[in-house]
Amino acid sequence: MHTPSTAGYPIAPICVTCLLHRPPDVTCRPVTGYGSVNGPPDGDLVRRVLDGEPDAFGGLVARYRDRLGRYAMRMLGNPADAEDVLQETFIRAYRSLGRCNDPERFGPWVYGILVNRCRTLGAKRARRNRVQIADDVVLARAAAPGDHAENQALRQTLEWALARVSPTLREAFLLRYVEDLSYEEMADMTGASVPALKMRVSRAREELRRLLVEASDG
Amino acid sequence: MAEHDDRLDRAIALLREPVPLDADLDRRIAERIAALPAPRRAGPLRLAARWLVERRLRVRPVWALAAAAVLMVVTWGVRGLIPAPPPAATTAAAPGLQTVRFVVLAPGAAHVSLVGDFNDWTEDATPMQRIATSDLWAASVPMKPGRYRYAFVADGTTWLVDPDAPPALDDDFGRPNSVVTIGGS
Repeated sequence: MHTPSTAGYPIAPICVTCLLHRPPDVTCRPVTGYGSVNGPPDGDLVRRVLDGEPDAFGGLVARYRDRLGRYAMRMLGNPADAEDVLQETFIRAYRSLGRCNDPERFGPWVYGILVNRCRTLGAKRARRNRVQIADDVVLARAAAPGDHAENQALRQTLEWALARVSPTLREAFLLRYVEDLSYEEMADMTGASVPALKMRVSRAREELRRLLVEASDG
Repeated sequence: MAEHDDRLDRAIALLREPVPLDADLDRRIAERIAALPAPRRAGPLRLAARWLVERRLRVRPVWALAAAAVLMVVTWGVRGLIPAPPPAATTAAAPGLQTVRFVVLAPGAAHVSLVGDFNDWTEDATPMQRIATSDLWAASVPMKPGRYRYAFVADGTTWLVDPDAPPALDDDFGRPNSVVTIGGS
């Protein structure tokens, strides 16, 4: 529990813990990420599962579900696909846990599975219906209860803009700016080189900036 | 420009907010996991094989070319020992269809799938069969004449191209694929 600072922010103060815009009277919990929550370290949980204690995997699911779910949702654009991919990612991670070479780095490893699952599902479904879903469903869900009107408008514009950025650029942008991964971690997950990823992130930024301006001017 | 950057920064902050997930999701995952066999630790041989596979993604271009050449030699050598036809070999099938046999070397993989334009890149649609006890995996697919992009997926995580096939230059999803062209009769 914490009180966000209000200094210097015209829309809403930025929470000093989770770095998100929050009204001053709202408290929030940090978004979970690898190594950032209480409980046994990832390596301990992985070893317990491999030693015959499958229930310990629940600790890993609880630790990573929010963050992985957020990436899947932003990447795929609709809740049903995101939850399908998230479920499939955890199942695959469980089945392949013996091949997690560095249990202490379970987070980046499971992230890599999720990124691949999103690619596979995205390649199948993107051309068919993603834009329609983004327009009809996501925009309706985009407004958070109690959202500031300007934030709400930006949130909807953002969903619209993300749906129009190519999957390759969207993936790089989300991993870098939303999931806050290093370029080296991204290279491990995607198989792309660091220079290529930097280029994709830069292009994604420019594309999103252009789309946001285009939407606000329209 | 500063105003536009501020708008983008606010957008990024919104994207970082948690998304609501089905409260029942954890239970559904737990139920599916309970029905699965317990995962096992990887043995030293499998770890060594995986190390070799994963290093594939980090080599310099000159070493990648050398490795590809070695892989081709190994692949052709192994082909002489097994009865299977070469990758993308075609045989007669139903009228209008030709059976194409795909073969890939995937050391250490527990399962391998063939994905491509012909199965909508669905990983579960065309599982490959291990050839005897080797690290070779094969699948036969009846196909109509045409040009198809394809790739192999090992263990659901490792994307492999066919070293014996030309690369697809028109990939639209940012990863390498191979191409097979089936001619008409």
